[in-house]
Amino acid sequence: MKLTVDERWDLIDKIAEQVVKYGEYRYRLKDAIADITVKPLTGIPIAIAVLYGFWSFFGAFAGFFTDGFLVKLFDNHWLPWLQEVFPGKGGWLYYIFVGDPAADNCFEAFGVLTSALFVAIGVVLPAIVAFYLFLIILEDTGYLPRLAVLVDTVLHKIGLHGFAVIPMILSLGCNVPAVIATRALETGKQRFMMAVLLAIFIPCGAQLGIMFKVIPGHVGFVMLYLLAGFFVFGFILDRLLPGKSPEILLDVPPYQRPIAKNVTRKLWMRVKSFFKVAIPFVLLGVIIVNLMYLTGFLGWLANLLEPLLCGWFGVPKETVGPLVAAFLRKDLAVAQLSAIEMTMPQLVTSVVLVSLYFPCVATFAMLIREGREGGLKGVSQYLFGGLGALIAVIFLWGGLIRLIWIILGVA
Amino acid sequence: MKILLMGNPNVGKSAIFNRLTGAKVIESNYPGTTVDYTRGYMRLDDEDVEVIDVPGTFSLEPKDVAEEVAVKILKENRDSVVVCIIDSTKLERGLYLALEIIEEGYPVVIALNMWDIAKEKSVWIDAKKLERVLGVPVVPTIAVSGEGIRELVSRIKEASPVDIERIVRNLEG
Repeated sequence: MKLTVDERWDLIDKIAEQVVKYGEYRYRLKDAIADITVKPLTGIPIAIAVLYGFWSFFGAFAGFFTDGFLVKLFDNHWLPWLQEVFPGKGGWLYYIFVGDPAADNCFEAFGVLTSALFVAIGVVLPAIVAFYLFLIILEDTGYLPRLAVLVDTVLHKIGLHGFAVIPMILSLGCNVPAVIATRALETGKQRFMMAVLLAIFIPCGAQLGIMFKVIPGHVGFVMLYLLAGFFVFGFILDRLLPGKSPEILLDVPPYQRPIAKNVTRKLWMRVKSFFKVAIPFVLLGVIIVNLMYLTGFLGWLANLLEPLLCGWFGVPKETVGPLVAAFLRKDLAVAQLSAIEMTMPQLVTSVVLVSLYFPCVATFAMLIREGREGGLKGVSQYLFGGLGALIAVIFLWGGLIRLIWIILGVA
Repeated sequence: MKILLMGNPNVGKSAIFNRLTGAKVIESNYPGTTVDYTRGYMRLDDEDVEVIDVPGTFSLEPKDVAEEVAVKILKENRDSVVVCIIDSTKLERGLYLALEIIEEGYPVVIALNMWDIAKEKSVWIDAKKLERVLGVPVVPTIAVSGEGIRELVSRIKEASPVDIERIVRNLEG
């Protein structure tokens, strides 16, 4: 026999009456913290402090290991040693694996064993560890749903709701799990919007780590610019796309003390999946870009796209190499940009372009997989809808930043 | 036989899954951490039994993709024992899903998880009585520390389908 919804609730009421007793509730410190972190007046300043703390911790932790230790190891020991012992200096194999024989740092050499390894281990690994350590603590304490409540009003303006902040923050680590996390949103419209917006506008932890190295003074600006783009295009997508954006009731769980074992286990899982997904692509990326360079394809492509790159975005045509690499790994692409001679505004523009430009191949594959839930129609929505949004964003948001430079009189 | 771990969002299904299987799925303190299912294996009486960590759902009428996945997994695995995990501080809404699953004819074991938080909040559940009323094993658990997990495992075998009319009668009698 099956019950109706009302009968079922009646039955539950009767059961609860017999088996549950509520004692007197004591208001405790935990509840006080729960209150002040979710009420707007105190919650918003606390949220800003938490996010700023996240930001500072990320920069400090990653900087400590990268600049203090790994850069020296790679530039002063690994690179000169490799340049010395790798056979066939001047040959194409040397070029692919070690790169430029005259380079004095691992950013510029651009070989598989120099730049790729340095980017992956020297810069991105500490960044990933720093990011996930902080994120896991936020996750396990139960802070994230409170953040979701606080930003609910703002996200409603673009047809999303507070819970969307969770995929947004996950995305700052890696876009791939963030795209998966969009499944917790209610409607197809919200899922599609969120997946596309975060794949386009949110740089991943690996890319952030490299940005701190390449444009240390401008990361904040780039982030604000991308976040502004997120909201502007979110607003537009919300108006253009059919579908509903219903209200939700969000469950806010009680605060919990993070358990060390759970934190370390999750951190290990995240780092392991980084190694599995990222390292092959970084290595492969360098090989492909070097081969394209050696065969003259990149030179040809650079000349072909010169009017667009120089004319519209105001960046040197050599950025075509990093843009190709960005399809495989964005961190690699940003690292590659640092080796091209250009002005600071041009460099910042290029970094923005790399961020906006096509999602990395792992994210792209995941977007298609999400589309597959909706059959052929779903796939074409994610593929063509996503591409349409992407092209519009690159031209408009990528072009606008040049306009900003022109207005500021620096380009 | 398979074991499905089901329950509302953020009641600790993934934590119990990790405890049971020694596997590694991401657990967090927010609803919607698991949006896809994960399979693992546990030893039960010298047998390897498949365990599925099902995404959280409030009812069997899905409201989002993750809930659709949950309902689909339940329907596709008719030969399963369902371990229904309930947040002890939110017994009523957990029971709603548990009753729906019982009505579908699945053998159910109930884990009253977050037992420690319920105590903190002075919510006292008479687990023995609940067990008598429902006619299914009911075990208090604290998944994050592992308390009650051994008992939960030992009682999976006792689960058998219950007629909902019997529950109604148990309440009146």
